[in-house]
Amino acid sequence: MADEAPFQFLHNEVIQYIYKSAETDNGRNIATLENMGYRVGQGLIERLTKDTARFKDELDVMKFVCKDFWTCVFKKQIDNLRTNHQGIYVLQDNKFRLLSQLSAGKQYLEHAPKYLAFSCGLVRGALSNLGVKSIVTAEVSIMPACKFQIMIQKM
Amino acid sequence: MTVHNLYIFDRNGSCLYYNEWNRKKQAGISKDEEFKLMYGMLFSIRSFVSKMSPLDMKEGFLSFQTSKYRLHYYETPSGLRFIMNTDLSVPNARETLQQIYSNLYVEYIVKNPVCVLGHSLDSELFSSRLDSFIRGLPFYSPRAA
Repeated sequence: MADEAPFQFLHNEVIQYIYKSAETDNGRNIATLENMGYRVGQGLIERLTKDTARFKDELDVMKFVCKDFWTCVFKKQIDNLRTNHQGIYVLQDNKFRLLSQLSAGKQYLEHAPKYLAFSCGLVRGALSNLGVKSIVTAEVSIMPACKFQIMIQKM
Repeated sequence: MTVHNLYIFDRNGSCLYYNEWNRKKQAGISKDEEFKLMYGMLFSIRSFVSKMSPLDMKEGFLSFQTSKYRLHYYETPSGLRFIMNTDLSVPNARETLQQIYSNLYVEYIVKNPVCVLGHSLDSELFSSRLDSFIRGLPFYSPRAA
């Protein structure tokens, strides 16, 4: 995880490529990006946790994602974690790395979901390999702050 | 001590960005014509300078000055051209232009997936950062000398 520029450029190109090769702009592109992130997240979490102890509970897993996982991928920690203790977690990042070069406000807001899909999948994959099945969505109102909402699915 | 205006051209001659801070007198021609005039003049002056140079040239054309203003020029290896007009108290703005390129252009335009290279720069983030950078320069002051 030495330099983030190659990853950012590659990420942007992946998104452009998927949108250019799909004729119609439907939700499939977002789903494709999310699935790619899922696979990457699964592999990444294996590498990151190979030496750590087992997690005590779900909250511990979420804290690991907010601190170590986010630091490894996005070079900073999550700014705010909220939960209702019933399976819903909201992770707020006030200066999301992949959006900070796009704009600082409302410009390009409609393009933002494309750039968050991969990261949603990343979180979902990481959680799934830690034994937590979830659905992850992201919303952004003012760039570069964004919120990831995680809904835990009880099996 | 002030910066008058800034132009950014790509290597094909299209003006990607223009902004002015302290320009008292307009050129009297439309903006498009002004950009074409600026680019054409720079193209000619660069080739003139390299032909007439009595020694081997290193950087080439750097700046010219009149009794009222100085025009600074910086060209990146990728063919991007930065032109800044300042008043006479600024001897060398090359480093400033270099900083504009690496800290602002590369950060907010090249890394911005929505901005297509070669088209005019619409990113508001870039404009606002550039504006605060220029206003923060030591040789900028809101009133012209």
